[in-house]
Amino acid sequence: MIVCVAVVGHQNNPLYLQSFTEADDALKLHHVVHCSLDVIDERVNNPKRNAPTLNETFLGLLYPTENYKVYGYLTNTKVKFLMVTTDLDVKDADARNFFRKFHAAYVDAVSNPFHVPGKKIASRSFGARVSTIVKSFGSGTTV
Amino acid sequence: MANYLAQFQTIKSSCDRVVIAVEDVSDLWLNVRQSFEQRLPVKKACLNNKARNPVFVENLPAEFIQTTDSRLRSRFPQEQYLFWFREPYATVVLVTCEDLDEFKTILKPRLKLIVQNDEREWFIVFVSKAHPGNDQATKMAKKVYARLETDFNTKRRERCCKFDLHGTDADFWDDFDSKMVDCIRNTLDRRVQFYEEENRKLSEQRFTPIWNFCNFFILKESLAFMFEVTNLHEDSLREYDELELCYSESVNLPGKHREFGGLDTGDDQAALLNPGFKALTQIIQDDVFREFEFRQYIFACQAKLLFKLSRPVEVAARGYAFVVGFSKTLALHENALPFCFREVWVITACLGLIKSTSAQYDNGIVAIDSEKEFHRLQGDLYSLCRVKFMRLAYLIGYGVEIEKSPVNSASLSMLSWPKPATWPSIPPDSSAEIMTKEKITLQAKPREKLFNIQRKPLPLEPSFLLREANRRRAFLSVGNMSELYDSVDGSGLDAHSKLPSNKSSSNLMIRTMSGPATSETSLPVDRPMRLSEIHVAAEHALKQTISDPDFMTSLSSPEEFENRYMELTKGAADNYHRSWWKRHGVVLDGEIAAIFFKHGNYDLAAKSYEKVCALYSAEGWEELLADVLPDLAECQKILNDEAGYLASCVKLLSLESSLFSSKERQAFQSEVVRLAHSEMKHPVPLDVSSLITFAGNPAPPLELCDGDPGTLSVAVWSGFPDDIALESLSLRLSASSSADEGLKAIKSSDARVLVPGRNIITFAIPPQKPGSYVLGALTGQIGKLSFRSHGFSQDGPVDTDEFMSFEKPTRPVLKVRKPRALVDITPAVSSALLMNELQWIGLIVKPIDYSLKGGILHIDAGAELKIEESQMIEIESYRSNGEQSGPTDASKALSSSSEPGRVEKVPIENGKIKLPDWASDVTTLVWFPVRAIDDTIARGTSPASPLKHSIVDGMRMIALKLEFGAFHNQVFERTIAVHFTNPFHVSTRVVDKCNDGTLLLQVILHSEVKATLHVKDVSLDLQAGFEHLGNGDGRPTSSLFPLVIAPSSRAGILFVIRLSGTKDLDELENSDSMMTIKYGISGDRTTGAHSPVPVKPDDSEELLFKISLKLKRPVLDPCLAVGFLPFSTDCLRVGQLVNMKWRVERLKDLDEASLPDDEILYQVDANPQNWMVAGRKCGHISFSKAQGSRIEIAVTCVPLVSGYVHPPQLGLPDVGEANVSCNPAGPHLVCVLPPTLSTSYCIPA
Amino acid sequence: MGREVAGSCLDGVVMEMVSAYCGRFYAAKPELAAGRIEAIGFQVGHQLSERYTMDRPRFTDHLEAIKFICKDFWSELFKKQIDNLKTNHRGTFVLQDNCFPWLTHVSLDPSMESTDATESDPALLGDTAAQTTSMLLYFPCGIIRGALTNLGIPCAVSADMSNLPACSFVVRIKT
Repeated sequence: MIVCVAVVGHQNNPLYLQSFTEADDALKLHHVVHCSLDVIDERVNNPKRNAPTLNETFLGLLYPTENYKVYGYLTNTKVKFLMVTTDLDVKDADARNFFRKFHAAYVDAVSNPFHVPGKKIASRSFGARVSTIVKSFGSGTTV
Repeated sequence: MANYLAQFQTIKSSCDRVVIAVEDVSDLWLNVRQSFEQRLPVKKACLNNKARNPVFVENLPAEFIQTTDSRLRSRFPQEQYLFWFREPYATVVLVTCEDLDEFKTILKPRLKLIVQNDEREWFIVFVSKAHPGNDQATKMAKKVYARLETDFNTKRRERCCKFDLHGTDADFWDDFDSKMVDCIRNTLDRRVQFYEEENRKLSEQRFTPIWNFCNFFILKESLAFMFEVTNLHEDSLREYDELELCYSESVNLPGKHREFGGLDTGDDQAALLNPGFKALTQIIQDDVFREFEFRQYIFACQAKLLFKLSRPVEVAARGYAFVVGFSKTLALHENALPFCFREVWVITACLGLIKSTSAQYDNGIVAIDSEKEFHRLQGDLYSLCRVKFMRLAYLIGYGVEIEKSPVNSASLSMLSWPKPATWPSIPPDSSAEIMTKEKITLQAKPREKLFNIQRKPLPLEPSFLLREANRRRAFLSVGNMSELYDSVDGSGLDAHSKLPSNKSSSNLMIRTMSGPATSETSLPVDRPMRLSEIHVAAEHALKQTISDPDFMTSLSSPEEFENRYMELTKGAADNYHRSWWKRHGVVLDGEIAAIFFKHGNYDLAAKSYEKVCALYSAEGWEELLADVLPDLAECQKILNDEAGYLASCVKLLSLESSLFSSKERQAFQSEVVRLAHSEMKHPVPLDVSSLITFAGNPAPPLELCDGDPGTLSVAVWSGFPDDIALESLSLRLSASSSADEGLKAIKSSDARVLVPGRNIITFAIPPQKPGSYVLGALTGQIGKLSFRSHGFSQDGPVDTDEFMSFEKPTRPVLKVRKPRALVDITPAVSSALLMNELQWIGLIVKPIDYSLKGGILHIDAGAELKIEESQMIEIESYRSNGEQSGPTDASKALSSSSEPGRVEKVPIENGKIKLPDWASDVTTLVWFPVRAIDDTIARGTSPASPLKHSIVDGMRMIALKLEFGAFHNQVFERTIAVHFTNPFHVSTRVVDKCNDGTLLLQVILHSEVKATLHVKDVSLDLQAGFEHLGNGDGRPTSSLFPLVIAPSSRAGILFVIRLSGTKDLDELENSDSMMTIKYGISGDRTTGAHSPVPVKPDDSEELLFKISLKLKRPVLDPCLAVGFLPFSTDCLRVGQLVNMKWRVERLKDLDEASLPDDEILYQVDANPQNWMVAGRKCGHISFSKAQGSRIEIAVTCVPLVSGYVHPPQLGLPDVGEANVSCNPAGPHLVCVLPPTLSTSYCIPA
Repeated sequence: MGREVAGSCLDGVVMEMVSAYCGRFYAAKPELAAGRIEAIGFQVGHQLSERYTMDRPRFTDHLEAIKFICKDFWSELFKKQIDNLKTNHRGTFVLQDNCFPWLTHVSLDPSMESTDATESDPALLGDTAAQTTSMLLYFPCGIIRGALTNLGIPCAVSADMSNLPACSFVVRIKT
């Protein structure tokens, strides 16, 4: 299951972070997401390796540990989407699909006139939409 | 075939170099051996790799072995094939021969015999013993060698070379080497071909029952080994990779179960870098290798080769992947393995990898980015190791020692517990240990944080250990396995690992339970274990699992654990710092800091914490920051680093308010305030930009004129949870135009209290230099603490575009204009006013879009001009030239107050007028009454006495000063000139003279004002020597009063007079006759003279004007007449010569006495400032006495000044004034135009 | 065609916005009005770029981004592409549109008080039609700048209209 999704701005500042664990231990997920930025930096700044995924928005698996996985997605506008999941076999297609929907939701969210660019996304509708996307994750429903 | 395995291994270990057989035909080996072996190892060899591409290898290790040697004799053919890699790669045939016949008969057949075996790669070395001195022998040797060549060389290949025992030459050795290498290469190619063939055959059998991995392995590894021996490491590595792949495919085939392994003592020590860790024979089991050992074996071989290729980075990379992957594999078999075997293995594996790779890495050089890569891998290894280590520690009850930080929580709380088949149960007589554990847990109390921040500690365990452990108790596991499986969440066991678990778990019993089985009963089966008991049990179990003693010691006590934990954390942090992954490094620094903190090493702790906080706050991860910052603050407080501590408090306050409870936030504030009011050793300026923000109001900037003060209102947002009292608050403005025009501090009204949220604060701005100003910084004092803020509020009303382009608002809040005219005051009166009467003077006060609010007008009338203060000043709004402005006089003014142009009367005190408010923005007309005093009696003019005085006499100056602006700081000063004049100018002439001596005196009244004059009455009282005719009331003969004189027109009045008795002339001279004119005036004060302001209401409209006239008696018998002839040119210009002509005519001849003979003296007098007389000023001219004779006098002069000036006058000094009649002697004034610009006489008028 | 309607409606909005800013709000100071209009464009471009770069690979260099502006972005906006792109390879690009849709309605005829949509606002009749038209171009400039900035390319964009309705935008990338 997805335990956490996050949107990180182009200055690596958190724009949105939602954890889906029942315990109030969101802080550790903050940490996971924040540290995963290291990997994104590496991927972007160090193009020597992973040449194929050089400029693809979907960054794939960033951070495999034996108990959770972090997937990343980097838009043209240097906005980063991250997803932390605990199920250990995730199909790339699912992840891509998830991020595409997530990105769409984000774009709509920033079009909200009450959204202040560069500030955290506070819109409730965005939250609702994200949670539906998260629920539908892996269920193979491609939109 | 699998039974060859043992043999294979021994062979492999025995031979480690290329073998070259020496066929010593004619017993030469001993002679040549030494020199031959010096050529080894082969310096350079060009071999073909598996892909048939030439590869240069260096220092190929090789060995010469005689064919007679036991090692090469007696081998069974098929094992020869199997272990072909150890067979000779080349055969050197050593021969010598002196005699040609001998060669033919004996040697040649024998050689043929040797070389016929085509399997071998051979070449012949012909050794000539011939001494260089011995020509005979040398020649012979040559012959034989030539023969040898012809017999054994083919055109494809040369197989012979010649070696002189005495005096060897270099090119022989090259020849030798090349031949040897050729042989080796060919052999190698053939054998590679062979092995590949074999492999292909075997691979075809795959997925068939007869398939046997072991054979495949032997073949593969033989090939790999051969490549390794011949230094073709790349190929060797590839073989191993294929082998690994094949294995992992074959091992995971479902169906028949295989032993996993890992149950021997010492297996917990990962052996992934030591190929010889176990004999292959030990780990094979019915033709299949046990996965546990074999995988490690394969990896070890790969690692060895990679190190040989000096690619430690790759070893690390593969290693990390291997460890992670293998730990998963271990998880599958976990319930068959000893307790926590998996964790232990991972730890040792990581440590091993770190040790070997870094050792290899240090003595190698790598590219920069692969260096970063390497350090990242090291960091990963370290942190993986660290996590597992923490897990173990937690299991045995050191959990209290572990910082409950996000990083630890993230790595532990999502990491599942070890899943042994049964949880170890308590060893007997361990009550003491249990007690100690209890104590540890009881003593450990969460240290309460500063500002008593209460946080629920982050979890370090995926689920409650107590439940987890008790669920896996031994008595549950044996018997009803099914229950166990349900409890295990899916990842653990799948089909093929099910069956063994019974057996394995049972032998696990034996391993983990110390003591005899009866110990089971030491604790009642049904009672669940307490936590401390679980810890103890786990510790004992671990003791069984871990074979390495000093590893165990690192878990023996909290201190030991901490040292190891520190070491691992440091290692991870340092490596991450040297990689791309800075954040990982910094976060781990935070963990290190926590340890330092625990040991009271606050200095280092603070340093590390600062790094962490800097990272988080830089990227705005406030939640994480909020977790660490209090710790930093605490360090700083203990170190009493006041600056840092304050900064931290402010930072804490400026975090999202949702992150802390209001009580905590109040605690922060109270800390700030406490410090601010306490004695600080080094009072520090505090930057509160994040906490106190401010912004100008959204309205367009406040605009001030030069020198104006103003008040600027600024919105200040206070982030403090409560009101905070400030000693002072001041704002700095910086001129946006010029940088050097530095900051202007504006003091706000002293002490104030900032309420949370928005405060509107007004600052009084002193007069500023012209320019536009932006908000600079906000500075202030809390107690003794001076703070400053550069924070431009975002949530304030920010200017859209700046906001959109995400820039700091640089919108000017204040604009000070360049100095300019703010008001203009001009006199409203266009022409002369009445002298000696109370007249209105109008001033047009015109504000130039600037408010004159509260302005004060100072009027300073000079001498000879008196302001009538008893009168009210009239102020009326002035409607510009277009429509007629203002009423004519007071009475009408009052009535006209109804019409839009309003009128107000204001008093004037000693020359000051306060402008009314309504007049502050509109152009107004200020009327005030003045009286110009001129006590000189006006004089009339007559032909005899032309007018002398100029208009300048009528000028009066009024100094005006207007003080206005908010603080009367603006001053406008001007002096205006007002022209006063008499109502009339009077001139007289005698119009007729009767024989009886009566004269008709015509008095002409010129009106001097732009107003209609009503002459009511005129009376003339004559001077001595004259008298009125008839009734002597000096009234004019013609009484046609009232006589109306239109503006600037004239009227004449006749008087009839006559001479009365003769008196001496001089008495006549100094007596004047007086004329009194009663008149009224109706004029408009806006245009000029008008009826005087009535001081008292009963003032009559009637005015009086006296003027003195001078009548000249000699007028009666003029004997000379002087006339001024008109100018030759129509206009005079400054600097232009002009001729002045007068004509003198003798009217009658005088009695001789009075005049000298026909000479007459004349002189021209002219004001030297106005005229330059070119010719002679005076002189005599002859002039006949005959009546009517006339002469002309001409003088050339140059006018020097433009304007109306008096022309030069001709005077005849000898002739008494009375005898000269001038009618008139010339114009009063002549107009001189300014010069044409070219002339050099250009003098400003 | 919904887009047709939407397109002309958008044109109307743009015209009206420009006239409102130049005519009413900042009639006095045109440079201020220009700033505001450009800023609005910036914001619009900022958001559009976010939307239009969805599920497309990231740009490796500036030229790619500019090309995106010329091709996809422009056709998203105007259903046509930029007609000509020049660059000096030193950070300056000239995007030329031979028939810029927002200028098609503009007719520069100083003699008559044009009744054209752009000139309809009485407040605009004061300043010459040329000024007004140049005002019209601040908005697209802002859009381009916003889009590029959001793509991580800070730049300055200026426009000039040689002969209507052709116009060219000059992008100078800040280094």
